[in-house]
Amino acid sequence: MYMHSFQGGATLLSLGLLFILYTMFVWWRDVLRESTLEGHHTKVVQLGPRYGSIPFIVSEVMFLFAFFRASSHSSLAPTVEIGGIWPPKGIEVLDPREIPFLNTPILLSSGAAVTWAHHAILAGKEKRAVYALVATVSLALVFTGFQGMEYYQAPFTISDSIYGSTFFLATGFHGFHVIIGTLFLIICGIRQYLGHLTKEHHVGFEAAAWYWHFVDVVRLFLFVSIYWWGGI
Amino acid sequence: MWRRLVSSHFKSLTALSPSSHSRSASPALRFAAAAAAAPSSASFINRHVSTQSGGKVKLRVEDVMPIATGHEREEIQADLEGRNILEINHPEGPFGTKEAPAIVKSVYDRRIVGCPGGEGEDEHDVVWFWLEKGKPYECPVCSQCFKLEVVGAGGDPYEHGHH
Repeated sequence: MYMHSFQGGATLLSLGLLFILYTMFVWWRDVLRESTLEGHHTKVVQLGPRYGSIPFIVSEVMFLFAFFRASSHSSLAPTVEIGGIWPPKGIEVLDPREIPFLNTPILLSSGAAVTWAHHAILAGKEKRAVYALVATVSLALVFTGFQGMEYYQAPFTISDSIYGSTFFLATGFHGFHVIIGTLFLIICGIRQYLGHLTKEHHVGFEAAAWYWHFVDVVRLFLFVSIYWWGGI
Repeated sequence: MWRRLVSSHFKSLTALSPSSHSRSASPALRFAAAAAAAPSSASFINRHVSTQSGGKVKLRVEDVMPIATGHEREEIQADLEGRNILEINHPEGPFGTKEAPAIVKSVYDRRIVGCPGGEGEDEHDVVWFWLEKGKPYECPVCSQCFKLEVVGAGGDPYEHGHH
């Protein structure tokens, strides 16, 4: 509705998004209440979210795989309409040796920081775990900031041929996942600060860390296939 | 990890059906349930604190996880005492007769039980039934006798299902 400029489309979209966010908030708030505050998550119960996170992350991999495939579909055999070459004629690609080459290690370091946080939690070093999570989130925010700046300054847009479409969709959805992962980690940081996470029991944190590693790996693939190879 | 997946799957299967799987080698043991599924998550705490004299101090739940509450606390408490709270889902014992019925433990006054039959040739398709307190039950196929032993709060399992 919004995309086709119908009247009230924007209101409907905003309301829908607001409701989704509200539902997520109260749902997970209830999960935290039932687990940490009421003690219903015994070892057997913990297996549910633990083993369930894995198919969820796999489904996210499937989702992003589609965008990688879309990119290679167009880039491996470039059509005559774009000049028979890749990158298409006229597209000024971003230099992979500049910001992309900086951002990739930033995200990798935040992955290392989340592992640091995990070890701190396992060792019972609660304050250090908070610091580690702060480091993780800070690096993630720096990453997002740089990406946003690059998006703003890019010489091409999403409507600039199939290159723009595949570039922005792949990197854009990755960025969206980074933002979600960052939010998840912020919540873990808050919970760690409040003392919810113990060395015996921190399934929520582990799920966030797995998700974060997945985001990290996707970034590596993105860097190699879209930024680097896609610009040669 | 796969064994744990299998055993936890077994655990959830046998939660209401303790006599559904019997693969015990000894002919005397006949209603062992999910014997292959060793409770892998049972003793996840095996720490002891040594005192100066070298003896072992009994750990409390506070030492393991101070913020534990509810069922989680019960589970840690049981584990520290060496008990497995899910063991009532895996009953074992000889073939139940009228004089010596197979005892099935239950938290409530009745529970679903499945009889797989006797050893080897005497196995049959699992027969499911409700076993009630004070009403010993005989399997219609192999006549194995079962008796309920209430070890928990009692009452109907479907009542008080709200918080």
